[in-house]
Order: sequence, then C-alpha cells, then structure tokens
Amino acid sequence: MFKKQSVFVAAIATAALMVACAGQKAPADAAIKAAETALAAVRDDAAKYVPAELQGVETSLTALKDNFAKGDFKAVLAGSGPLTAQIGSLKDAAMAKKAEMEAGMAKASGDWTAMAADLPKMVEAIQSRVDILGKAKKLPKGMDAAAFDGAKSGLDMMKSTWTEATAAAASGNFMDAVAKAQMVKDKGTEVMTALGMGG
Amino acid sequence: MASDDKTKAAAENPYTQTYVVKKGDSLSKIAEEVYGDKMLYPKIFEANRDILTDPNKIKPGQKLRIP
Repeated sequence: MFKKQSVFVAAIATAALMVACAGQKAPADAAIKAAETALAAVRDDAAKYVPAELQGVETSLTALKDNFAKGDFKAVLAGSGPLTAQIGSLKDAAMAKKAEMEAGMAKASGDWTAMAADLPKMVEAIQSRVDILGKAKKLPKGMDAAAFDGAKSGLDMMKSTWTEATAAAASGNFMDAVAKAQMVKDKGTEVMTALGMGG
Repeated sequence: MASDDKTKAAAENPYTQTYVVKKGDSLSKIAEEVYGDKMLYPKIFEANRDILTDPNKIKPGQKLRIP
C-alpha cells in the first residue's frame, strides 16, 4: 500500500515537474529571441568599436542557447536577465566608443585641413633652399657635405611621407593622415635647422 | 618660375627665412653667409623685388626674405 502511494506521489511530482518545465519553455524561448533581437540591433557597431566586449556577450548567448537545447529552461530564464543587462552595457560601450572615435575623427579632419594648407609651404621653402645650395660653389660656414646630404634625404622623406598623408586623407583616414603630416612637420623642423633656416 | 612669381612665393611662405640687414651688409655678403657663395646674391634680390629696386642698395633694418 505504502509502495503504491510512493509511486503515485512520484508520478504526480514528475508530471508536475513536466508541466512546470513545459510552462517555462515558452518564456525561455521568448527570452532568447529577445536577446538575439537586442544583440542584432547593436552587433555592427559593437563589432566595429568594442569587439572584445561583443565576444563576451556572444559567449553568454551561446551558453543560454545550450541550456535551452538541454531543456534547462530554468537556467535560461535565470541567465536572461544578466544577458539583457550585458547587452545594454555593450550598447552603451559601443555608442561611447563610436562617439569618441567620431569626435577624434572630426578633430583630425580639422587638423588635417590646417596641415594640408601649411606643410606644402614648408616643403617648398626647404626645396628652394636645397636647390640654391646645390648651385653654391661651397657650402655655408657650419654646414658640411654630410649635413647637406642628410638634409636632402630628409626632404625626400618629407615628400614621400606627404604623399602617403594625402592618400590617407583622400581615403577618409584623417587620423593616419595627421600622424603622417606630423612626421613631415617634425622632419621639416629638423631639416630647416640643419640648413640654417631658423632665423 | 618668373621673378615676380618667386617674390610672391617667398613673400607668402611663412617658412621662408628672414634676415634683418645690418650696417655694412651687402646682398653678396648675406649670400655668402647663408648660401656659402656670394655669387648667389641674385636669389635674394629676386625674392625681395617688392622692396628692393637695386641689389646694391639695401638699408640696415630692412627685413629680407632668404629663399
């Protein structure tokens, strides 16, 4: 009698568990779909601006799906809240990084405009001096042939780097363009000093 | 480049060296100092045609462009 009662109770418990599990399946499925939709909305920006953080969220989503596949809907529902928060943080991080990059690019664009107007004049002034010194019968006091050759090499480097800078700007990469333009300016300052053009 | 163009280019270029004429200076003396060759003085004259009419007439205090 007791044994029959135990079997009956166990059957009831199993049935109740099955009903409970079945009842959790739909919310678990909906939670995963909601997470996928939310992640899809930020995936492109996240991949571009915060790829490492995106990888973490993808891993969490995969774990949730694995739990769903195993029928552990309770774990899915328990994990969906933190995942939603994780996706929210991912979106915030991606937007912040995007804004930072856009601000940096806008500044670089402005810097480039100024450098693009200024540095060709520096190259031109140095070229003029190198051309004139190339015609001199002897070099000015304090400048030897090695220094003059170094200045000519420096000018060649400035011209080739400037070509790279303008190509970077033409392709919209103003940060790279400004970095290269700064190299041109630094080298130009060095060459002008070597040529005695500081005064 | 024509003389006028050279003068204009030097005048508009902030990187062109400048030289303030001192007592006793001449263009050839300045050319020897900055170029090492006094015979290159016409380069300085050409770059300063807007303020110089004669390469032999420069005045102390004049600010010359040295291309």
